[in-house]
Amino acid sequence: MTSPLKPPEGDWWSQPVNRRESIWLGLGAVWSVILFGWMSVWTTAGEQNPIGETYRIESEAFREKLSAYKDAATETDEGLVPPGTDVYIQAMRFYWDGAPVVLEAGTEYDIHLNSMDVQHGFSLRPEDALSKQINLQVLPGYEWVVPMTFDEPGTYHIICNEFCGQGHRTMHGTIIVTEGS
Amino acid sequence: MAHRYDVLGLFDNEYDDEGFRTCSVTGLRIHRTVENHVKLFGLTAVVALLVGGIFAFTVATTRWEAIGLLGPDAFYTHLSMHAWNLLIFWMVFMEVAILYVGGPMVLGRRLPWTKVATAGWLTMVAGAVAVNYTIWTTSAPNEAPLLTAYVPMPVSPWFYAAACLFIVGTVIAALPFFVAMWREKREHPGKTLPLVAFAAFVTSIIAVEALVGGLVAFAPAMLWRLEIIEWVDAAWYRQMYWIIGHGTQQINLVAMITVWYFLTHVVAGAEVVSEKVSRTAFILYLFFINLGAAHHLLSDPAVSTGWRIWNTSYAFYGATFASLIHAFAIPAGIEAGRRKRGKGGGLFGWLTSAPWGNPVFSSTIFSIILFGFLGGITGVMMGQLQLNMTWHNTFATVGHFHATVVLGTTVAFMGLLFFLIRTMFRRQWLSTRLAAIQPYLYAGAMGVAVLMMMYVGILYGVPRRTVEVVSNIQGTEFDLAAASPLFAIFGIFALLAIAAGVLFILLAVGSLLFGKRIDDESNVSDLVADGGLALAEDPDDPVHAYEMRGTFVLCLVFLAAFVITYLLNWYLLTQLWAIGA
Ligand code: HEM
Ligand SMILES: [Cu+2]
Repeated sequence: MTSPLKPPEGDWWSQPVNRRESIWLGLGAVWSVILFGWMSVWTTAGEQNPIGETYRIESEAFREKLSAYKDAATETDEGLVPPGTDVYIQAMRFYWDGAPVVLEAGTEYDIHLNSMDVQHGFSLRPEDALSKQINLQVLPGYEWVVPMTFDEPGTYHIICNEFCGQGHRTMHGTIIVTEGS
Repeated sequence: MAHRYDVLGLFDNEYDDEGFRTCSVTGLRIHRTVENHVKLFGLTAVVALLVGGIFAFTVATTRWEAIGLLGPDAFYTHLSMHAWNLLIFWMVFMEVAILYVGGPMVLGRRLPWTKVATAGWLTMVAGAVAVNYTIWTTSAPNEAPLLTAYVPMPVSPWFYAAACLFIVGTVIAALPFFVAMWREKREHPGKTLPLVAFAAFVTSIIAVEALVGGLVAFAPAMLWRLEIIEWVDAAWYRQMYWIIGHGTQQINLVAMITVWYFLTHVVAGAEVVSEKVSRTAFILYLFFINLGAAHHLLSDPAVSTGWRIWNTSYAFYGATFASLIHAFAIPAGIEAGRRKRGKGGGLFGWLTSAPWGNPVFSSTIFSIILFGFLGGITGVMMGQLQLNMTWHNTFATVGHFHATVVLGTTVAFMGLLFFLIRTMFRRQWLSTRLAAIQPYLYAGAMGVAVLMMMYVGILYGVPRRTVEVVSNIQGTEFDLAAASPLFAIFGIFALLAIAAGVLFILLAVGSLLFGKRIDDESNVSDLVADGGLALAEDPDDPVHAYEMRGTFVLCLVFLAAFVITYLLNWYLLTQLWAIGA
């Protein structure tokens, strides 16, 4: 009996499996292992991973860090030039505090992300290649330190891509990447 | 005998003295209590589909900025109405109906605790109405909840309360199902459940886990908004929320697969090619599928890498493997079953000879194919830790889940409703010809719209959940206008899909109101699979011995598409600058 509406009778567990179905099961198992293996290996061997240190922090404490950082940074027409390789950006309804910021290509920066109020989305792409885009969730209460090394100079745009209120669509910032020295 | 409130005569089938009748299509012995409750939940689902569908129009024509229907003040409210009525109410009311079909109906039992079932329905309706009311009356400082109601965005506390009410109602409505299963097991301890009943049981367990998660997320959020507790952590809420947020998608998936097994059998003569393999797949779901909720947190700061990898992969892709099993077992069931019925010459004769003019069949097949190729594959893509960075919160995400819940689940459920109209409500479709083309229009148009959603997200980084971003971003010269041509295609096909959705509602409601009553069994004989269903019960003619060549070829094509999409996604990722430790 092989109706899905009737109880199978007899020793259905020992019914043979069609050869082609068995082959497919093998293929499926191999593919599953490849998917798992590739993703795992990439965390150590690959260049792009949504991985960084995370700290719990009150929004106010992050603001203090941000203002100390701003004091130490250099203001230019293009934006802030950070004093070292740490870059602080705080999302708040409806702008990115700390942007625009001027960085150099080829240098590894630690981008410190936090939200002052609600959840936001840090969505970044260079102006002239829209398909190169990455998206990270930004949460209040957490400081996420994500290292980034830009290889191409250019203007990178941050768009907020987590709904954060009526002004959400206007929440935009820039990162200017200059030729490395 | 019709109930005195049943003015439309929708609940007046004839039953024998014990309250049973025998369905001439499925051969099931159906009790009045089950049938009437299935109808009640199914009809309610259609109402939700109508309401949510209206907002599909306003949402789609806003995102298509050439029209740009709504401003930000209205858009988020409309988007919330769209999401809750379709993803939650349309689907969950259908799923309770499916539990009653898969449990008591397939087992030939009455529905126990009918008062509880009705109370569950009333509670769910009250919850659904209240959710709609609280969304529609959103006012400052509150924001519309969207689907997720993420803290600490201010959302009305009464919204969370209403959502909890709906959840509790669903649990109540599921109780009679559990009682039926319990009694079946008590009375026949040694008997194996039919596959469909087994699958419904797995669905129900996954459902309860999801629903409990919902209470754990929404109740504290409500207390926080009422200022009874001081703070709800955003990361904690996300983790709890996604137990229900994704858990309900697992219900949609497993319920849909249950419907696939059921309908392919009834209308196309599919059989279960291996009870062992198909049941193992459901068991894998039971153990692993809930871990998948983690793929919503892959680009989050607060969860460790190991946790993310382990969970998003459902522990070594246990649930993906299960889906790959069904991807073979269901078409193979059709192929072998039809070959057995003498309907399967050559490689694909079993497909070309199938009843493509029957919307029950075509809906089910489109659901299987489109769910697999568009929904399933993209789900695995965005569920990979690193690839998720390129999908997260973009329009491509919206594309992915419309491929699963619209092309997959909604299309399958529409097929089921076409079936129920004939077999349970006992009405002819208002127009057989329009009914025959509806699945082609809906699945075809939505298929294109979904592809465009994915492209604008992945190739142009267009975000989801926003009003204006393509033609203009206020306060900057920068925009994403390069995506406009694809958006035009999206807009046109979204409107076509909505038109096909309207056609479905017209056909469903029209058939119930004006369709010819079916009083002779020959009027439903066109639904029965070639050769009848009894063939599946011949122990001397085992189905696993029939050829499955055609299915094997189709599955290889599927695997190739899977691998190619995977490579393309990884190629795009490696084009990025270095990110992450
Ligand atoms: C013709 C049919 C449909 C069209 C044209 C359509 C269109 C859309 C669009 C354009 C969005 C994205 C808005 C944005 O993020 O800015 C959206 C969101 C959504 N849709 Fe649909 N949709 C349709 C049917 C459905 C169905 C049947 C379901 C559920 C079963 C559904 C569930 C959702 C959900 C859950 C969201 C996300 C809401 C959120 O972000 O909170 N849609 N839809
Ligand atoms: Cu924002």
